[in-house]
Amino acid sequence: MKRYGKLLFVLLILAAWPWVLREDVQAEGADVQTQGTAVSISPLLTGYIRDAQAQPVLDAHVTAYAENTVLAEAVSQEDGRYTLLVTANTPTPTEITIHVERHHFQAADYVIKDSDLEHLQQSHLLQIPIITLERHITPGFWIATFVFMGMLALIALGKLHNTLAALLGASLIFAVSYLGTPLYDGLYIFHFEDALRYIDWNVIFLIMGMMIVIAVVERTGVFQWAAYMAYRLSGGRAWLLVVILMIVTGIASAFLDNVTTMLLMTPVTIRIALSLGINPLALLMPEVMASNVVGISTLVGTPTNILIGSYGGIGFNDFLTNLTPGVMLALVGLILYSLFVYRHDLRPAETGAGISEVLLQRLAERGRITEPDHLKKAGVVGAGMIVLFVWGERVHLLPSVTAVMGATTLLLWIKPDIEEMIEAVDWTTLVFFMTLFISVGAVQEVGLISYIASGIGRLVGTNLTLAMLAVIWLSAILSTMIANIPFTAAMLPVIGFLSGNIPGAESKVLFYCLSVGSAMGGNGSLIGASANMVTAGIAERAGSSITYMYFLRKGFPALVVTVTLATIWLFIHF
Amino acid sequence: MTMTQILCAVRGGPESRETVTYAIDLALQTGARLTFFHALDAEFLNYATIGPLSVVYQELVEMGKFTMLILVDRAQRRGVAQVNYVVREGNIRKQLLQAAIETKAEVMVLGRPTRSPTQNVFKFNEMEGFAAELEKEGGLRLVLVPEMPT
Repeated sequence: MKRYGKLLFVLLILAAWPWVLREDVQAEGADVQTQGTAVSISPLLTGYIRDAQAQPVLDAHVTAYAENTVLAEAVSQEDGRYTLLVTANTPTPTEITIHVERHHFQAADYVIKDSDLEHLQQSHLLQIPIITLERHITPGFWIATFVFMGMLALIALGKLHNTLAALLGASLIFAVSYLGTPLYDGLYIFHFEDALRYIDWNVIFLIMGMMIVIAVVERTGVFQWAAYMAYRLSGGRAWLLVVILMIVTGIASAFLDNVTTMLLMTPVTIRIALSLGINPLALLMPEVMASNVVGISTLVGTPTNILIGSYGGIGFNDFLTNLTPGVMLALVGLILYSLFVYRHDLRPAETGAGISEVLLQRLAERGRITEPDHLKKAGVVGAGMIVLFVWGERVHLLPSVTAVMGATTLLLWIKPDIEEMIEAVDWTTLVFFMTLFISVGAVQEVGLISYIASGIGRLVGTNLTLAMLAVIWLSAILSTMIANIPFTAAMLPVIGFLSGNIPGAESKVLFYCLSVGSAMGGNGSLIGASANMVTAGIAERAGSSITYMYFLRKGFPALVVTVTLATIWLFIHF
Repeated sequence: MTMTQILCAVRGGPESRETVTYAIDLALQTGARLTFFHALDAEFLNYATIGPLSVVYQELVEMGKFTMLILVDRAQRRGVAQVNYVVREGNIRKQLLQAAIETKAEVMVLGRPTRSPTQNVFKFNEMEGFAAELEKEGGLRLVLVPEMPT
């Protein structure tokens, strides 16, 4: 044990070496003065800083002092750990005070005395008990909260482009932090370097890689072909067409993003509906709802899953085994619901409202694969990516790395116009995510997320069942009102806290609950998901308006059906 | 009434049923040529976080053309001898006026706007001004057809 203690000590010294060097530089003059009385071994103090929710506190400034003399200073690391190497040569103090300060927290002190001090003097090493910092509400807290809520409102009301709203939020936070703090310290929120830490680059690169792959796939005409094949396979039976289109859209959404899927499926679906003489909404609504539901069956299916997977350390395999069966169950429920709700709208097709041969030919012409060679290559690369998503977890291969490798391979193989391909990457979305991370980081920094987490924690206690129900249904209902991407990004630290504090939640079940709620909740209202908005936008231009109330009437019961079925699955599985 | 050209501006789809029926009836009664007009307005795409704009745009153009072809097909089946369509991109009001002048239409048939601000190309209170503009610029008359709820 003693041997391990020494080893630990040596390791701690090695770990602290950069600080030793830094202290040497900073206190060069002091060293000269104390050269003759230098101690042979410098005492080492280590410990952890936590917040009230027992989460590690990063960047807390820790000072050890005795009798108004600063003995050592350090900054806490990501795990909340700090190490103080006492280099100042002072007479034996009667007590040493550890003072901890950090923005947005109340300062805290811990006093080392009596037996602890004796222990330190004998062993030159002391492990200090965890120091818990209480939150401190500053004007910066209210500003960050107000800015975040304002950003959500602008996105929800469509008053500003998503990216511009998030960019505005991030800019305001920086403006207040940099320009306001010199006037009044309480306005501080965080600095640029701190903000960068909140950006999840795994998410950014995964989305970017997938965008390049999608850019190749979407130009092949596979969506139009799939929709046309659904029409052919259905043989004019509208109910069967609905079922096939829902399955096709669902599968596409599981691997590609929902918005792209619906952007490409909607125009061709409208053409098919008009050809059959049925109300286009009877096909479009089930399609978009299936897209929202089935999208979460894989890690890459929705941006929310990418966020959840990256934050919660949930891989491609985990989603497939833990969520996909539940999603399939929900899809069956959704299909039955759609057939029931649209039973009257689907009837005219069976009575044979046809169009001319010329139009049918035109429909067929537009429903063919335009770039079969590219589709074949994209298929091979896509299959390889899925294999790497599944097996790569064994060698800790991040999904973002797989996505970038896959995109690069595809670009090298098909050699497209690289300018065109880079343009196909939706940089606006990537900027949206980066600035969103900063805005969410700001409310996390000032403590809003901690207050929400502890509020939910108090509500559900240690009851996992209650926590699951609260997370699923709260996120489902809230996702009908606010955009699910910022909502999910804001909820992740809350779920992280709950997962660490509720017995049984270490299985990450609450992350799956968040995935289900935030995605399937998108079916509850028109503004619940971006895919709904683009579908409505296209449908309206073809003379089939999807109003807010129409979507609510058809979509909200679908939310109840699908979320209930997914909840049942999660309870059975976990 | 002597009439040689009717311009019917619609989006197509179920919401345009009454307007299209009126235009077809009018063309049958007068023997005038009927032109269906569809304007592509893809501005809404700017409010979505999306990538494949060029592909989607092509799809929207095809959707517009297909919708108009269905109307042409419908008119022909009902016996309208001279019928065609125009699909334009850009500012709808401007394109509509230009199409009216180009086709030398005497009558423009439009769906009457509802009170809903989101469902109409033209706002309810804009119609009077637009009718005056049509009269002045193109010398044609505007007919507004109330749509039945879908």
